[in-house]
Amino acid sequence: MRLMWGRLITCGGLETRPWRRAGFAVSLLMMLTPLFGQEPAKPDAQAAAPAAPAKSDQSPAPATEQWLTGDFEVGYRWLPGLNGNFNEYRSVVNLGEGPKLLGTDFTITDPKKRLFDRIDAWAHNWGGDPYNTAHVLARKSGIYRFAFDYRNISYFNAVPSFANPFAPAGFNEQSFDLRRRNSSFQLDLLPGARFSPYFAYDRGSGHGRGIDTWVLGATDEFPVSALFSDHTDNYRGGLRVELNKFHITLEQGGTQFNENDQNNFSGVNTGNNSSPFSGQAIALNVLSQVYAITGNSKYSKAIVTARPFGWLDLYGQFLFSQPKTNVAYAEAATGNLVVPATLTFYNREQLFAGGGALMPHTTGNAGFEIRPWRRLRIVESWMTDRFHNAESSLIGQQLGATSTSNSLSFPTFVNYNQNETNAFLDVTNGLTLRGGYRRVWGDATVLGSSLSQTGLLESGTLNRSVGLAGLTFRRAQKLTVNLDYEGASSDNIYFRTSLNDYHRARARAKYQIAAPLWIQADFQVLNNQNPAPDIRLDFQSRTNSVMLQWMPNSGKRVSVTAEYDRSTMRSDIRYLGLFLAPATSSYRDNAHTGTSVVDLNAHGGKFSLGGSFFVSAGSRPTRYYQPLARTSWPVYRHVYWIAEWQYYGFNERFYAYEGFRTHLFMTGLRVTR
Amino acid sequence: MIRMMRQTRRQAVNTIRLAALASLSILVAGAQDKPAPAAPPPPDNKPAEYVGSQTCQGCHEDIYNNILKSPHQRVEVDKHRGWDGKACESCHGPGSKHAESMAPADIRQPAKLKPAETDRICLTCHLNQPTHAGRIQSSHVKNNVSCVSCHFVHKDRLVARKQADINAQCSGCHTDVWASFQRPFKHRLTEGAMSCVDCHNPHGSVLPRQMQQTVNANEPSCFKCHGDLRGPFPYEHAPMRVEGCMACHQPHGSANPRMLTRHEVRFVCLECHSNLPAPTPSATGALGGTPPAFHDLRSPRFQNCNICHQKVHGSYIDRGLLK
Repeated sequence: MRLMWGRLITCGGLETRPWRRAGFAVSLLMMLTPLFGQEPAKPDAQAAAPAAPAKSDQSPAPATEQWLTGDFEVGYRWLPGLNGNFNEYRSVVNLGEGPKLLGTDFTITDPKKRLFDRIDAWAHNWGGDPYNTAHVLARKSGIYRFAFDYRNISYFNAVPSFANPFAPAGFNEQSFDLRRRNSSFQLDLLPGARFSPYFAYDRGSGHGRGIDTWVLGATDEFPVSALFSDHTDNYRGGLRVELNKFHITLEQGGTQFNENDQNNFSGVNTGNNSSPFSGQAIALNVLSQVYAITGNSKYSKAIVTARPFGWLDLYGQFLFSQPKTNVAYAEAATGNLVVPATLTFYNREQLFAGGGALMPHTTGNAGFEIRPWRRLRIVESWMTDRFHNAESSLIGQQLGATSTSNSLSFPTFVNYNQNETNAFLDVTNGLTLRGGYRRVWGDATVLGSSLSQTGLLESGTLNRSVGLAGLTFRRAQKLTVNLDYEGASSDNIYFRTSLNDYHRARARAKYQIAAPLWIQADFQVLNNQNPAPDIRLDFQSRTNSVMLQWMPNSGKRVSVTAEYDRSTMRSDIRYLGLFLAPATSSYRDNAHTGTSVVDLNAHGGKFSLGGSFFVSAGSRPTRYYQPLARTSWPVYRHVYWIAEWQYYGFNERFYAYEGFRTHLFMTGLRVTR
Repeated sequence: MIRMMRQTRRQAVNTIRLAALASLSILVAGAQDKPAPAAPPPPDNKPAEYVGSQTCQGCHEDIYNNILKSPHQRVEVDKHRGWDGKACESCHGPGSKHAESMAPADIRQPAKLKPAETDRICLTCHLNQPTHAGRIQSSHVKNNVSCVSCHFVHKDRLVARKQADINAQCSGCHTDVWASFQRPFKHRLTEGAMSCVDCHNPHGSVLPRQMQQTVNANEPSCFKCHGDLRGPFPYEHAPMRVEGCMACHQPHGSANPRMLTRHEVRFVCLECHSNLPAPTPSATGALGGTPPAFHDLRSPRFQNCNICHQKVHGSYIDRGLLK
C-alpha cells in the first residue's frame, strides 16, 4: 500500500522535478520574449510617419497605438516547508515549487486589418501549476470571430476521512490524481450579418491514476491501483438567422465518448478485513478489470425569438439528444476467495459483461412577454423535459467451477413539466413589483434500489405549486433594494430529501454612503419541511453577508474591499438505523467567512494585503485561513518586480490528522508593453 | 304667463351659458399648466436632432475611439442597420441639444434609466439573438438586472472575458456565493481556473439556476468537465439523473470532502437509503429506501458507503454500483 502511495504521489505535480514541469512555461516564455523585447522604435516610427493621420479613416485605432500591447509575469515559487498532511494539502491547494509563467495577456492589432482586426490572448498558471488556462480570441469585423479556450486542471484527491476516518494511515481508497483537460474551438462566420454560420469543436479528457476497491461481497474490499482514461469529442455546427422581426438558430451536433479505465493488482492483498473467514485467510493475488466503454450521441437544437408587434415578444426552444452507451467489461481475479452466503471457497473468478443504454432526451420551452400597458409586463413560460433510458445488460460470471449468467432489460422514464407566470408592475420610476405563480409536475419510473441485480421498478410523482413575489427599488443611483420570495407546497415529491413545503427569500440592498464608499448587504433564507411521519425533514439555511468598498479618489492611492458572511445550515431527518431503531440524521454548519483586500498605490508601485478566513462549527468544525500579501514595484521602464507571500492553514477538529499549514513565497518580474 | 315662461327659460339658458363659460375658463386655466402640444414650440424646445458621431467625438474622443475598436463599431459603419455614422445616438438619442448646451440633462443616459428601459434600448438591435430566448425567463430580468450591469457598452471589450474578471463581476452582487468559494473544498474559481459562466448562463437557461446547457444541448454543464459521469448508464443512480448533482454536492464550496452536503458519506446516503420498508411508494410517492440490512454501521468499514459503492454516479456493470 505504501508503494501504491508512492506511485500516486510521484505522478503529482508538487514533489517531482519542477524544472521539467516548468519546461513548457520556459518554452512559452522564450517564444514570447522576442515579442515583448522588441524595441518600441517601430510603433514610434509609425506614429511619426506623416501618412498616419490620413489612414485614420481606414483604421479607427489611433496611429500612435502599438500593434502589440500586453504583459507577462514570470516568477519562482518556494514552498519552504509543509507541516501536516501533505496529501490533504494537495487535495485542497496543490500549488507547487519551481519556475512559473504566472500569467500573460497580450493584444495584437493589425492597423491594416488584413487577416484580423485584433487578437487577444491570455494564459495563466503555467509551469507545473495545477490550473493551466489559455485563451485566444481573434476577430475580423463582419468576417469572422474565432475563440479558443484551453484548461488543464489537476484533480488530486486523497482525503483520509473520505475513505475511513478511523484508519487514516493505511486505508486510502477513493483517491486519485487526474488531469482533466478541456479544449474548445468556435468559429463564427459573418458575425452580425443576417445569416451567420458557426462551427465548434470541444474535447474533454481525463487521465490519471488512483486507488479503487475490488469488492468481495460484503466480506472484504481490496484496494487496487487504477488507471483512469476517458475522453469526449463534441462537434457542432449551426446557422443563426437574424431578421428584423424574428431570429432562428438551428444547430446540429454530435459527441463521441470513450472510457478505458483499468484496475490491476499483483501480489498479496489481504484487504481491509484482516479477520479470517471460517478459519481461512482471504487474500487477493491477481486482479485485472478492464472497462471498454464507448458512447455517441447526436443532437438537434432550435431557438426562435420574435417580436411581431411592439408589445409582444415570443420565444421558443427545442432540444433533442439521443446519447447511447455500449459496454464491454472483463474481470479476472485469483486468490483465496469466498462466497459468504454459501461458504464456498474458490481460487479463480471471471466475469464478462456487455450491455448498453439508449436515452432519447427531449426538452421544449416556449413563452412570451406581453406589455398591455406601459407600466405592466406579463411573462409566461412553459417547459417540458423528458427522457427515457432503455437499459440492458448481459453478465456472465464464473466462480471456481460454477458458471452463471444474467440478462436484464428495463426502462427509466422521467418527465418534468413546468409552467410559470410573472407580472411586473412599475409602480413608480424607481419601484417595480413582481408577482407570479409556478407549477411543477412530473413522474418518474426508475430501477428501485433493491439489492438484487434484477429488482423491481419504482415510480414516483412530482406535484408542486409555488408562489412568487419580488420587489425592486432604486433611488437616485445611490440605493438599490431587491427582494425575492418564493413559497411552495408539494403534494408529491420524488425523494425524502427533495424540496417539499418550502419558503425561500432573499433581500439585497446596496447603498452609496458617500462618493467613494459603498455598502451592500444580503440576506437569504431557505426553509424546507416535510412533515410526513416517516421523514420529518426539517431543513433551514440562512446566509447574511455585508460588503464594504471604499475607494477614495477612484482608488488612486487606497482602495479597501471587505466582506463578511455568516451562514448557518440545520437539517434533521428521520431514518431507521441499526436493527431498525429510529434515528435522526442531524447536520449543523455554522460558518463565518471573511475576505478583504487593501490596495496601496504609490510611486508607480502597489502593495496589496488581504486574504480570507473560514471558520465553522457544527458537524465538521473547520478552520481555513488564506492570508496574502503582494507587492509590485517598477525597477526599469516597463519592468516591475513582484513578490508574494501566501499562507494556507487548514484544520478540522474531528479529523486533526488532515490538517496542514504552510507558507508560500514567490518572486518574479512583470514586463508590460 | 308666456312672457314669464320665456324669461325663466332665457335665465336658465343664460345660467347654462355662464356655467359652460366658467367650466371652459377653468379647463383653459387648467390646460395652461400643461404644455400645449398643438402650440408651436418656442425655439428652445425644438426637438433635438441627430448630429452624427463625429460631433460626439469632439468631446468624447476616448469613448468614440473605444467604440470603433469594439464590436459596436459595426453600428457605425453598417448601412443596413440605419445608424451608420450615428452609433452614439443609436443609444443616446439625438444629440443636437446636448452638443449645444453640453448639459448631461439634454441627452438620454441609458445607465440612469429604469433597467427595463435600458434593456429596451439594447434590444433595439439585440432582440433577435439567441440570448433573448433565455433572457425573458432569467432571474436577472426578474430582478431588474439590466444588460449594462455586466456589459460595458463603451469599452473595446464589451464584457469581461478573463475568469478572474468574470468572477469579480459576479461576486460584486453574489457576495454570499463568493464566500462559499473560500471553503476548502470547492471548484477552482478563486484560483482563476474557472469562472461563474462556465456553469451558469447569465442570460438565462431552460435549466434550473440558469445552468449552462452543454455537451448534448440539454444536459447541465457539469458534464462538460465531468464527462465520465454523463452516462447514460445501464444502472443509473436515480437521484443523479432526476434531481441532478446538487442532490449530494454543494458545487460552490463545502467544508466536507468532495463538496458533499453532509459531513460524512453515510449521512448523505442514509437520508434516502433509510432502512424504511421498500420499495413502497409512500403517501408522498418517494423513491428509494432499501435497507442496508447486513451492514453494521458501527464499523468504520461501512461508514463510508462509497468505499464499496464507488460507482455512485451510475454503473456500467453492477446494480449495486460496486464496479
